[in-house]
Amino acid sequence: MLLVLSAEHRAHLGCLPPAGGAAVGELGRLALEQLRRGAAPRACESAARKLNISVDIIQHGVEGLVYLLTESSKLMISEVDFQDSINVLGFSDELNKSLLQLYLDNRKEIRSILGELAPRLPSYHSLEWRLDVQLASRSLRQQIKPAVTMKLHLNQNEDQTAQVLQTDPATLLHLIQQLEQALGEMKMNHCRRIVRNMK
Amino acid sequence: ILDDPDLKDIDPTVLKHCHAAAAMCILEAGKQKADIPAISTCLEDCKLDKERIEQFCTEYQHRGLVTVVSSSIGRSPLHVTDVSWRLEYQIKNNQLHKTYQPSYLVTLNVENSASGSHPDVSFSCTMEQLQDLVGKLKDAAKSLERATQM
Repeated sequence: MLLVLSAEHRAHLGCLPPAGGAAVGELGRLALEQLRRGAAPRACESAARKLNISVDIIQHGVEGLVYLLTESSKLMISEVDFQDSINVLGFSDELNKSLLQLYLDNRKEIRSILGELAPRLPSYHSLEWRLDVQLASRSLRQQIKPAVTMKLHLNQNEDQTAQVLQTDPATLLHLIQQLEQALGEMKMNHCRRIVRNMK
Repeated sequence: ILDDPDLKDIDPTVLKHCHAAAAMCILEAGKQKADIPAISTCLEDCKLDKERIEQFCTEYQHRGLVTVVSSSIGRSPLHVTDVSWRLEYQIKNNQLHKTYQPSYLVTLNVENSASGSHPDVSFSCTMEQLQDLVGKLKDAAKSLERATQM
């Protein structure tokens, strides 16, 4: 699958060839830092001074690289497709090789960063449980009513919430049976076939 | 009881008082799990004759449903009544393609006896996390079993 680069994008990346090999390394590093931590105008300024290029060109170059790297990592394009995609830019072989290496070295990390942007439901963290027996209440004395009290810890967007729930023994056994069936589904042929064929 | 033809000759206020008194008596006796002799003694002190005491006690024997209702009154944490689950295989999202991740979506159906609402608890988890959850629930069930054998 080939990456389609817009005219604006190509113009941004066009600053790379005149800048030279060292500059490409520097811009690559800035691009990755931007992906990890967000835009850093000061770093761009100091790079501009070091390489003797204007700040605007540096920034466009970094943005161009960021877009190139994120799109390629998102689509998980192969080496060949990446090379073919950047060939349209008309760069030198050496520059193409550097860009390819930059992509291959960092795509796993970029994919994990992109993975954190996906929509998420609260996810399971852990469960604590406790066995209780109700002996009496305001409306009825001398009872023996067993119950299981649970504290369900969930993660929601980096916050941890805890929910206190209770259930009776019969429902507990039912829950266990249902969830064991759920686990069993993963081992069924249907699921195995799909997981195997969609890779 | 106000519409009952057998009782139409009695003053409605008196009827209401009697009904309320009888109901309170049954509830209190049920709450304390009082037995027949105890109730008879109590009613004797209230100057009821033998025949009426016997009638009352016969009716009192049928209070099974009242006990059930009494035991369900009261506050408790949200009560889990059922669970639904869904197994899905993620292929891509708008930020990342070719994700290829299986995951479970579990919903615990919860009943809140106080407000009658159903604030279900939903969460996603991986297979390992679900195994952890099921393991812990099984531990709870095992300890329940051991407790009942004591």
